[in-house]
Amino acid sequence: MLEIRNLTKIYDDGTVALKNVSFTVEQGEFLIIIGLSGSGKSTLLRCINRLIDPTEGQIIWDGVDITAAESAELRTVRRQIGMIFQHFNLVKRSSVMTNVLAGRLGYADPWQSLWHRFSPQDRELAIKALGRVGISDQANKRADELSGGQQQRVGIARALMQEPRMILADEPVASLDPVLAHTILGDLDQLNKEGMTILCSLHYLDLVQRYASRVIGLKDGEIVYRGSRADIRAMTDEQFKQVYGAEAIRVAAGLEGSLG
Amino acid sequence: MANNTNSKAAKPEKRSLVSPVVAAVASLILPGLGQMLARRFRRGLIVFASVASITGLIWWLFVDLSRSAQGIGLMLTKSLRRAPGFVILVLVGLVVLWLLNVWDAYRETQTRHRADPTVFILIGIVFFVLGWQISQIDPVTAVVELPDAWPPLSKVLWPWEAAFERDTDVLAASADILTPCDDEPPPEAPEKVEGEPYMVASPTCGDLTELDENNQPVLGTTLHLSASGFAPNTETFIFWIDPIGQEFRIRQEGAYISVMTEADGTFEYDVTMPYRLTPPSAEGRQIHEIEARQITEVGGLKPSEPLRLTMARMVETIFLGMMATIFGIILAIPVSFLAARNMMSGSFLSIALYYLSRTVLNIIRSIEPLIWALIAVVWVGLGPFAGIIALTIHSVASLGKLYSEAIESIDPGPIEAIQATGATRLQTIVYAVIPQMIPPFVSFSIYRWDINVRMSTVIGLVGGGGIGFLLVQYIKLLDYRAAGIAVWFIAITVAILDNVSSEIRQRFI
Repeated sequence: MLEIRNLTKIYDDGTVALKNVSFTVEQGEFLIIIGLSGSGKSTLLRCINRLIDPTEGQIIWDGVDITAAESAELRTVRRQIGMIFQHFNLVKRSSVMTNVLAGRLGYADPWQSLWHRFSPQDRELAIKALGRVGISDQANKRADELSGGQQQRVGIARALMQEPRMILADEPVASLDPVLAHTILGDLDQLNKEGMTILCSLHYLDLVQRYASRVIGLKDGEIVYRGSRADIRAMTDEQFKQVYGAEAIRVAAGLEGSLG
Repeated sequence: MANNTNSKAAKPEKRSLVSPVVAAVASLILPGLGQMLARRFRRGLIVFASVASITGLIWWLFVDLSRSAQGIGLMLTKSLRRAPGFVILVLVGLVVLWLLNVWDAYRETQTRHRADPTVFILIGIVFFVLGWQISQIDPVTAVVELPDAWPPLSKVLWPWEAAFERDTDVLAASADILTPCDDEPPPEAPEKVEGEPYMVASPTCGDLTELDENNQPVLGTTLHLSASGFAPNTETFIFWIDPIGQEFRIRQEGAYISVMTEADGTFEYDVTMPYRLTPPSAEGRQIHEIEARQITEVGGLKPSEPLRLTMARMVETIFLGMMATIFGIILAIPVSFLAARNMMSGSFLSIALYYLSRTVLNIIRSIEPLIWALIAVVWVGLGPFAGIIALTIHSVASLGKLYSEAIESIDPGPIEAIQATGATRLQTIVYAVIPQMIPPFVSFSIYRWDINVRMSTVIGLVGGGGIGFLLVQYIKLLDYRAAGIAVWFIAITVAILDNVSSEIRQRFI
């Protein structure tokens, strides 16, 4: 459903974030991208929904090249792709409900929505989305009153409001403790089992091994590793070293040891 | 490494180019030169610039003090006579500074020595003495004349006696007086009406007091007044009204005349006809009038005119500040988006627009509201509208800057998240930018309202309406009680507003 062809991103200051990256994502996959900070994971995810414009290459969504899509076309593509973030990116002073409803903006009437007017169906959908991530009782609180885990669930609910066909998750658990990390990824896993395609960047190897159906490893903007579910479970230290570099090996080994 | 004097590591080893004695002599000839030769270039430059400007200022002050006397000697003696303390102090200071500069140059040639700020301290002291003279500081006058400040000050500090007044009721009766007496019959006594005050003068003609060639008064005719029908046991004032209707209270031996009425409301009194300067054209018969007047206060206390005017102007002032703030906010919002880097980083055009709006805002902001008010007064004339224009212009500039900084410091995360949902640009602003801006926005706006009301109290000084306009008028009329009422109202209003605004701001953050 998504195909990335020879994607290259060079920032204005000359930083090369992505170098000739190509891969495809099939319907129903839980594709995890691993790599160090600065390896280009975030840039890659943001190129897919065009929050960042790639320098070269193509993004093909459902067989349509959206690399140069503009305005209405771009918004139509974006609303099919939900996104959740490391720092949740909620509007802290707004209510949970408003944050979730904001996920519907791509469908809502552009002028009506400016006055926070949403259709009753949209509101119903928002309550359902909150129920799905188990925080429907928090709907009227301010977003910053919630704990980190709850905030990320609001983020997921907001993404669900888009009724997306794919969810991009940019380090969704990096600011959460390990227990919460498991529950959040559990939520994503549940969605995946219900048929949602998920593209997620992660740091922790144990989580990768547990949830990924396929893995891509990025290093300095290049794909240095591709592996199936079986491959990642059998991932060797050498392969890991390729992705994470020499210093990271021990952390990774430690994590591997903690695998349940 | 040792040869590379520019590198940081080599800095402490910077050697003097000349020996201590040469440096000292150089500084004796030209202050600071020795230090420069000792490779303390900046120190030398500061010393030179200071000594040069001090010498120049002393020269200028001496020329001023000696009223441009010719010749240095004459100038010195004349200045010395007019301001001996200053002249001696400043000359000694200059000489000591010059010598200290020589010693400083000598010391600076040595590579290892402690940092010595003496020469800079002395420069500071000499500038202080010069500043004292130039700004005409005069504590002696301030102390000696202090008692003169007390009467107006006490009125300003406690003006409330003038804040309330009562209505007055006037009982008056008058009689016509002819001057000079002639063949025609003199004016007749007025008709007596029962229940109203009544006064007769006798005679009903006579001569006014005049001045002889030595300016000595030649007393005029004495009139006997007998009156009835006045309020009993009440002070009564005697007025003289000349043929063109000008009236004044009659004085005798320097004091105003006032008569106490008897228990039956009557009085008898002798008055000498007063001095009136009559124009040469006023020859011949003139009918003057003498009037007895009782003024009694009736009814309850009511606000005096200054109090009523002050309250009206204060309301005007508060609204002036409010309107200026509202206009300022409305105009500053679009401007602030233009002046926010993160909103304008799209294309070359938008970046150019960003720099343009930043520059314009900075220029406008650097001009004080009082100056804008002067311009606005020329534009729309005196009054509060001019003040509103002035404050609005300044508010747009300062709010525009504060808002744009608030926009620049917002979290980009939510913007990204809302964009990712397929929202339009406008939706993104409404859902991700505005909610984040509300706290700083409210805080800055209220703060600005606070400033604007405070500014509007003085914007009237230059004709921009509001209470300042009234205050400056009262001060010019030497009506210190009325001015005091205005000052009190300003202080109370600003204090209340200060508290209210800080309270609101705290709630919003």
